[in-house]
Amino acid sequence: MSLRADPTLISEIERFGAADVSACFNCGNCTAICPLSKGETVFPRKVIRYLQLGLTEKLEASPEPWLCYYCGECSETCPREANPGEIMMATRRWLISRYDWTGIARKLYTSKVWEVGLTLAVSLFVVLLFVLFHGPMLTDRVSLNTFAPVKWVEYGDWIMAATLSFFLLTNAWRLRRFVMGDVRAGPSIYLSEISTFLSHAMTQKRWRECDHSRMHWLKHFLLVTGYATMLILIMVLLRWFQTDGWNVTSLFGYYATAVLLYVSADMMIGRLRKRHEIHRHSHPTDWMFLILLFLTSLTGILVHLLRMGGMPVPTYVMYVIHLAVAVPMLVVEVPFGKWAHLLYRPLVIYLVTVKAKAKSTVEATETVPVTT
Amino acid sequence: MNSEEVKIGVYICHCGGNISDKVDVEKVAEDAGNLPDVTVSRTYTFMCADPGQELIVEDIEKHGLNRIVVASCSPSLHETTFRSAVVRGGLNQFLYEHVNIREQVSWVHASTGEATAKATTLVRAAIARVRHHEPLSLIRVGATSRALVLGGGVAGLRAALDLAVYGLPVTIVEKSSRLGGQVAEFGTVFPTGESGAELVRTLVRDVSALEEITVLTGARVTGATGYVGNFTVMVEQERGDGSTEDLEIPAGAVIVATGSRPYEPDMGEFGFGQFPEVVTLPDFIQILNETRADGDLTVNGKMIRRAAFIHCVGSRQIEGIQKPKPGRPLNENCSRICCTATLKAESDLIEKFPGVFVYDLYRDIRTYGRNHEEIYERASRDGVSFLCYEPATPPVVTMAAPDDTGNLLITVKDNLTAGMEIEVAVDLVVLAVGMEPADVGPLAESLKLPAGADGFLQEVHPKLRPVEMAVAGVVLAGTCQSPRDIEESCASASAAAVKVAGLLTRGHVDLEPYVARVNADRCEGTGICLSQCEYDGALKIVESVIDGRAIRKAVVNEALCTGCGACVAVCPTRAIDINGWTLDQFEAMVDAMCADPVEVASD
Repeated sequence: MSLRADPTLISEIERFGAADVSACFNCGNCTAICPLSKGETVFPRKVIRYLQLGLTEKLEASPEPWLCYYCGECSETCPREANPGEIMMATRRWLISRYDWTGIARKLYTSKVWEVGLTLAVSLFVVLLFVLFHGPMLTDRVSLNTFAPVKWVEYGDWIMAATLSFFLLTNAWRLRRFVMGDVRAGPSIYLSEISTFLSHAMTQKRWRECDHSRMHWLKHFLLVTGYATMLILIMVLLRWFQTDGWNVTSLFGYYATAVLLYVSADMMIGRLRKRHEIHRHSHPTDWMFLILLFLTSLTGILVHLLRMGGMPVPTYVMYVIHLAVAVPMLVVEVPFGKWAHLLYRPLVIYLVTVKAKAKSTVEATETVPVTT
Repeated sequence: MNSEEVKIGVYICHCGGNISDKVDVEKVAEDAGNLPDVTVSRTYTFMCADPGQELIVEDIEKHGLNRIVVASCSPSLHETTFRSAVVRGGLNQFLYEHVNIREQVSWVHASTGEATAKATTLVRAAIARVRHHEPLSLIRVGATSRALVLGGGVAGLRAALDLAVYGLPVTIVEKSSRLGGQVAEFGTVFPTGESGAELVRTLVRDVSALEEITVLTGARVTGATGYVGNFTVMVEQERGDGSTEDLEIPAGAVIVATGSRPYEPDMGEFGFGQFPEVVTLPDFIQILNETRADGDLTVNGKMIRRAAFIHCVGSRQIEGIQKPKPGRPLNENCSRICCTATLKAESDLIEKFPGVFVYDLYRDIRTYGRNHEEIYERASRDGVSFLCYEPATPPVVTMAAPDDTGNLLITVKDNLTAGMEIEVAVDLVVLAVGMEPADVGPLAESLKLPAGADGFLQEVHPKLRPVEMAVAGVVLAGTCQSPRDIEESCASASAAAVKVAGLLTRGHVDLEPYVARVNADRCEGTGICLSQCEYDGALKIVESVIDGRAIRKAVVNEALCTGCGACVAVCPTRAIDINGWTLDQFEAMVDAMCADPVEVASD
């Protein structure tokens, strides 16, 4: 069965931030230099080739874009300066939009108006909720839990988590279908490889195989620990964490905030200075992601400081601002934006292992000699 | 000379170690030194170097040598070197004999014993032969001071202009009604981007300005006779009223610049002739040039949005995959210009119609010339999508479904995508056709111009004598010799012009003396020799009356004889011989080789 070439895919992927796909003349230097390209999953050349010819289905089924951590060695050595690293990045953005059945991800990636508009809309919605439903604003002392009772905020948390999980998981289900194709794997295979998923999700250990990226990996790992800590604090431990007094959870909050502020600031500086290949090219969505993360952390710690400083109204206002930043970041970025990679990357690595195992099982079964 | 005592000098060259590493040169020299009449037998590191040549000169003077043998490399490298040393020593240059013990001995034999024995044998044969050498003279004949250039394309025009600089009259014979050939129709040409028509206009203007150059358009060569310096070319020229005029043009030399023609694909080859949307590159260039940039690019009334270019159509053909056309060999050569021309046409197309998407299906991209790679890169940057096919699985062009995005569907196994079969829907397929030699016409037949297996005219030696033909006085310019671009065609045309100028500006030509000679005492006038002679006018039978008896004798025209020796082989009375290659000499060589075989020493 032959594959149909589609010349429109190049211009499509260029809308997701790939600058010069045509410049590539398929020499394969990028694949040769890539420390992660090996075995059955070789890239970036193959991915770029699919793009050039417009082999949409091949590309959708490709796990390769998620196996790249963008160390940038390929872009540094490309003889045509075709920037394979950034093409892989753009392909990941495009894939996120392909997995997403709602069409929102595509709108966010291809339109700044949509991206800013949707973020602002969610922000305003949060502000509106507070305007309409906030509790009494005590001014004689700081009482955040009177202004925004933790019980209600917790309900809000869970509704939000359920919403974004719904979108993220349905999209992930589509990812699974794309990547697995017609390979059937039984539940036992899925279960037996679950540790692969967990270890990669938690450590991103594959990234450490990149030659020049140890520092980037370490910073990213710190960020993940900060992010995970904060997630647990607000999803599980909020009734202790959002206190008007002092609780031991605050110590974890300090750690998470410090890490999130430091790493997101460092990443923004990196993108401004463009010293490393990984930060040389910035799509508007890259900035949006970092700015929201930085502002969420900043406003979070400001709420804490204002509360400790005994300033009731500024505390309440800052709290509203904090949620007006944090909520859209989570609702928009996690299922439809860059943050989807926290699930997609380990999921794809996991599925590649599952697929290989399923295939070898089938082969082993097929090669068993028939005896009578 | 017969009365004089023969004194032979033999020189065995080491050629650094090229010869002496494999051949025991001292042993060869010693063997030669023991043969009768050999006065001097030496070895030397580099005979071709000045001290080596001086050895010969000094020995001739000191020992009174009158025959010289040098055993060294190929005669095509250094025979003339040693001949001139012999002349400096005061001898006739044809008293020299050259033995090749490098290419034919040391480089091709593994065993020292065998190599030494073979070298010894060859040197013995050369000594036997050189003993019979006689002083010979070059044959000098007068030369017509006019060159004829066959073909009025860029190569012919360039050659005519370069010849006219020497004040030599030139006649250009062009079969079509205008000058300029194919280049006039190429649009802009790579790598400079100049207009082909403009290039031709410049050349034609310069040609018209020179009174030395006569141009005959609408003129065909119908035949030719003669030899270097003295050709007569018969030309039939159309006149305005439809009648023709026959002309005879005397010429001292002929430059063949008959050019090439684009390969015409077979019916159904990549859909050619089957679908009107499949066209050749020259046709496409014409379509593109004739379409206004603000209009629509259409072929056969259909708008072109996607186009595919297929390389190597009618070039680099492989036996078993492609079939030759009737009466033609397979075009196994690379046509050299089509890669760059195709990539340029793709960029030109995109530049003029930016909405058109272009696929390029190639076997290999060979943008070999200076500034050609930039054209490849430009096409790539312009967004051309490349697919690479194997010769055994060429793209297949079929009709697309009516509701498809293009009229035609190309299916190809793409090497760049792991050999996957890719389908491309397009509105136009352009075939990058190769070059075939144009018909040279009756001139080739009349003058027996040699052509290679590919049908292109053949030079004497691609490196050492790249523009001369084996037929003296006929030189090659442009694509009649092999596929090449305009730059290369004009370079070869200028080289051809200089060759002809060197020949004709002296007013005479010197021919090698290796021609037939008749021993009148033995000749009985049988005429058998004449029946075997391939070269018109080289031999004739002359009748004369001596002492009242009619006597028939063969007579050689030295200017027309090529020294092939066919006559020698058939003469029943051994009355005819080739100067410098007599039957006596061959017999002496055979005797020297066979009488007392050289023993092969074990290694």
